[in-house]
Amino acid sequence: MKNFFSYKYSSLYPLIAIVGGLTIVIFTLVFANDVKCTYFLITVYLMMFLFIDYKVCLKSLIYLIIIGGLFFLIAYLVSDRLDQGVSMLNRVAAFSVGMIPGVSLGPDRLARNLAQIRAPRSLTIGMLIVFSFMPTLLNESRRVKEGMKARGSFTVLNPKILYRAFLIPFITRIVDISDTLSLSIETRGFDLHNKNYSVYKKEYIRFFDILFILLIVLCIILAVIL
Amino acid sequence: MKNKRENFDNLVKTLSKSSEENQNSEKISKNEEKTVKISEENYKIFQKFKIKDIVFLAIISCIMLLTGAFMPLVSNIPIFGIIQICLGLQFSLFPAIGMMKVRKPGALLFMSFFSGIVLIFMNTIMFFCLLLCALIAEALTILIFRGYKSDWASFFAATLYLPLTLPFLYLWYKFFYSFTGEEGQAVSAFIGSDAGTAIGMCFAVIALCAVGAFIGVIITRELKKAGVIKK
Repeated sequence: MKNFFSYKYSSLYPLIAIVGGLTIVIFTLVFANDVKCTYFLITVYLMMFLFIDYKVCLKSLIYLIIIGGLFFLIAYLVSDRLDQGVSMLNRVAAFSVGMIPGVSLGPDRLARNLAQIRAPRSLTIGMLIVFSFMPTLLNESRRVKEGMKARGSFTVLNPKILYRAFLIPFITRIVDISDTLSLSIETRGFDLHNKNYSVYKKEYIRFFDILFILLIVLCIILAVIL
Repeated sequence: MKNKRENFDNLVKTLSKSSEENQNSEKISKNEEKTVKISEENYKIFQKFKIKDIVFLAIISCIMLLTGAFMPLVSNIPIFGIIQICLGLQFSLFPAIGMMKVRKPGALLFMSFFSGIVLIFMNTIMFFCLLLCALIAEALTILIFRGYKSDWASFFAATLYLPLTLPFLYLWYKFFYSFTGEEGQAVSAFIGSDAGTAIGMCFAVIALCAVGAFIGVIITRELKKAGVIKK
């Protein structure tokens, strides 16, 4: 009970963060054509500074300004109507604001939370891999491209070169990595059977998590009523 | 005394022989049981997933996501089938590879889920659509091919996977915008003014996905021949 009211900056309960993000995205997509939706997004965005790391919030603002601005301009120039431009901006903003709670979570916290509620291990493991494997894959593709250059092929635009010099070595490397990773996972004691296992450093719902979701719902109600 | 010793030696020999025979027969029966189990497992349509399957599918989904990272940029363009045209090649090539390696029903569903976890923030509609389409594609493949033993089954499922999202996206937009009373406007924006263009886009998506799935099947066959992917 003591911990329930304690305030921890940027540590939303993972599942609540995801539900909150999704609620924002879905509501904004439904009401994207309404100007109220813009006010809703601004309010929610400002509110997020209280609950989520300000660096994540600011990064999403950069994305919103560049991409949202571009789409606003395209929509406005094509239709010659300001409301169409705003509608397009709202749609882009829906994703950039809605993904803030999800992006602020570490994949480890989400996996721990799912393990805590006894979600299937296959899903937890797969999700962790998807989240944490992107930099590795980018590195691998860079290495394959360097290998291509070493063999004298400098472009992937030629389909033959793309197939023989990029895709085949890349998939071969992926198969190798997946074999090594699965062996490593098995030796660490992971398996897909529903055996009992301990979860250290459990995630608990706090008052501020509930407040976060309630504030989003309140904003939605106000946007619909007013 | 000698006779007694010989008798004892004979007894020991016969006993050891019988125990060896027993062990051999036990081994044979165990091997037979194993082969029966393996053949039964091969015969089953639904098989259990192992960790190595999940890991491979997750990595393939990750590649799918990386290659489709421009999706949030495209998703807002109100042209029918623009997302599918942009993602068609990679969302059929990599699933084909995944299903050719992990020949188990549910592989496509797992891939959809893993890619959807990140996709859910990029395009929520697409996440649900992909899950549903994976389910339908898998069900059709199982009904027609009885599993993924044939290469054509993987090709079929990978080709069908993304084009199936087209009708679902249409239905989704129709349902979604009916709340705001702009149903007609939204659907016409999505479909475009010309029905012919929409039909042309549908065929283009199917052709693109078929090409992607075909390349995926060829790559996997080549890697199997080279021994990189084990049967």
